[in-house]
Amino acid sequence: MRSPEPRRISAAPFAPLLAKELREVLGGRALWIMLLLICPLVGYSFFQALSLYGESSVAARQSAVLAVSLSPFDGILVPTFGAFYVAVTLLFPFVAIRALSHEKESGSLRLLIQLPYRAVTVMLAKALAVMCAWLLASLPVVSAVVIWMMLGGHIAPAETLTLVAGHALYGLLVGAIALFSAAITESAASAAIVTLALTIGSWALDLTIAGRPGLFEWIARLSLTQTLKSFEQGLFSAGLVFGMTLVAASLLALAGIWLRPGDRIQTKLLRSLACSVTTVAALAASVLITFSRDMTEDRRNSFPLADERLLPTLTAPLEIIVHLAPEDPRYVDLQRNVLAKLERAMPQLTIRIAVEARPDADAVSYGSIEYRYGTRSDVSRSTSPREILPIIYGLAGVQLPAPVPSTEYPGYPLVANIDLALVWFLGALPLLIIGAWLWHRRPPSFAFVTVRKGEQA
Amino acid sequence: MDGISPASLRSGIAARPSAAIIEVSGLSKRYGEQVAIADICFVASAGQILGIIGPNGAGKTTLLETLVGLLPADSGAVCLDGQDVSPSRRRQSMFYVPDEVRPYQDQFVGQVLMFFGAVYRRPPAGIAQIIATLELQPVLGKRVHALSKGYRRRLLLALGLLAPHPILLMDEPFDGFDLRQTRQMAPLLRREADNGRALLLSIHQLPHAERICDRFILLAAGRNCGSGTLDELRDRTGLPQANLEEVFLALT
Repeated sequence: MRSPEPRRISAAPFAPLLAKELREVLGGRALWIMLLLICPLVGYSFFQALSLYGESSVAARQSAVLAVSLSPFDGILVPTFGAFYVAVTLLFPFVAIRALSHEKESGSLRLLIQLPYRAVTVMLAKALAVMCAWLLASLPVVSAVVIWMMLGGHIAPAETLTLVAGHALYGLLVGAIALFSAAITESAASAAIVTLALTIGSWALDLTIAGRPGLFEWIARLSLTQTLKSFEQGLFSAGLVFGMTLVAASLLALAGIWLRPGDRIQTKLLRSLACSVTTVAALAASVLITFSRDMTEDRRNSFPLADERLLPTLTAPLEIIVHLAPEDPRYVDLQRNVLAKLERAMPQLTIRIAVEARPDADAVSYGSIEYRYGTRSDVSRSTSPREILPIIYGLAGVQLPAPVPSTEYPGYPLVANIDLALVWFLGALPLLIIGAWLWHRRPPSFAFVTVRKGEQA
Repeated sequence: MDGISPASLRSGIAARPSAAIIEVSGLSKRYGEQVAIADICFVASAGQILGIIGPNGAGKTTLLETLVGLLPADSGAVCLDGQDVSPSRRRQSMFYVPDEVRPYQDQFVGQVLMFFGAVYRRPPAGIAQIIATLELQPVLGKRVHALSKGYRRRLLLALGLLAPHPILLMDEPFDGFDLRQTRQMAPLLRREADNGRALLLSIHQLPHAERICDRFILLAAGRNCGSGTLDELRDRTGLPQANLEEVFLALT
């Protein structure tokens, strides 16, 4: 055998690394077991959604008014994807953790980090492989959408893609947390504890302190589950997308910092600090990204078209002072029906919650909402856009806009035979997954690299 | 592959004087209060096989991992081709094959070899040659976790041979091999050295080390108790006919 001349190595192609990471993810049992568990989880949720949607549709078929409230987005897609969200929160971390912990535990990491790749490149390859696993895991939920369409159900592409994008970003975030946890811990078990503490901890945050004022409200915003809510309302927010991507990238960068065992702990801490400070600064700057778009077919996140056209022309600053506690249901109502929509429609809007806004405070002012536009002001206790928008137009001195003719959302009632869904999710799909697993386990051919001993290359 | 006598294996080293490819000075590493290696100094040249000799716990693995940058050293310098090189850049010139590693257990042996071959841009014919030389054909379609200890060691050796770095470090390269297999592998490593690489092998089986290595570093409790060729070590001990084992016992 004649070896090539020894040479220094400073770079290597990315494709072999990515292919290796994909094989690692596909080779583990964790992915296939997760896929098998997702089938009944998503299947049952889809079955329940179909069942409830069908029951509501029976009455809605007789009344156009009732039909308007039947949206497949809310009735079918969000609950079905909700089951997928549970699987991604509870099961997906184990698949992502394995992508790194397995190498740590077998000692292969000591080989990997000697290869001519930067730690960030290694983490990028692992993140891509983990997201491919997420894509595979999403097959049951994608199949549910296909079944819904085969049953004659309606799908609005824009709102559906928004929901898918939200879940993909959530998957990326969970995957990045899992990889970071695997990088800073010595075993898969420890990494799982750290990751689940964050993912399940988000649920705890939602259940215990969401809706409470002050610091609790701020902490509740850190919950991972909060990131999905905007997408589940069909709202595409560029700032949120940027923030989620940034946090995931930062976690992967931190994982890269902690991946190399040859660096001193002080070095790792300093680099981590620099990375974290940069991320926080970028996140703070991301509040300037205000672009968002209502992707829903029924335009639930927007005012009527005529108002949406008029409101951006009101260029003077509008200040709204709310004398309601954030946990007050009236404030929640006002926020959802008016404030959130105004924030998107008006360029210069300031919303303040009055300091004394407590239910047990001044009984006279509590519940009132002040509107200040230029030098004029007005007060109202309504939380309905039908009453609030005329107040704002009045303050601005403009006429109420004439309604713009537009297509009314008709609603999509559907009573479908749901037996097919059960057969697919509890029988056919699991069998297909097992078949794919067995097919993947067969050894490939290596004939092209086999030569006889002593034969010269 | 035929066995080669120790004399013929070591032939040529004296006739092959070359500049130091790696120069280590004052390398030390502690784990808390425990000294793992202390003030290690040595030099190795291209074409040399340097044996790091010592009992279990002597600090052989720590020395190799510190050299390649997998462990942070407390002090000391590692010069490659005369230049002090930071740990993060040493992997450009060195490749370390650890002991007790199951590289990518769930993947097939052929896939692991193809991966390393692709990373180092080795042509399929070159990979095939290494597979043939190490007689890995029967296990290409086996998963790594299913390999016997001997085949796993061959796989690790193959990965080391696929890496084209000028300096190859191997931790217990003959562990898991029987005598016949060791005698088969020794000429293979010699050929690698003859091709211009420097090999640093950590070996605790002294007969194997004596058979293949040109120079030795004798480690005990993390300290360098002697280094040089076997003849130089014999001179230090005053035992002109001693084998490496006797020299080691005399110096440590």
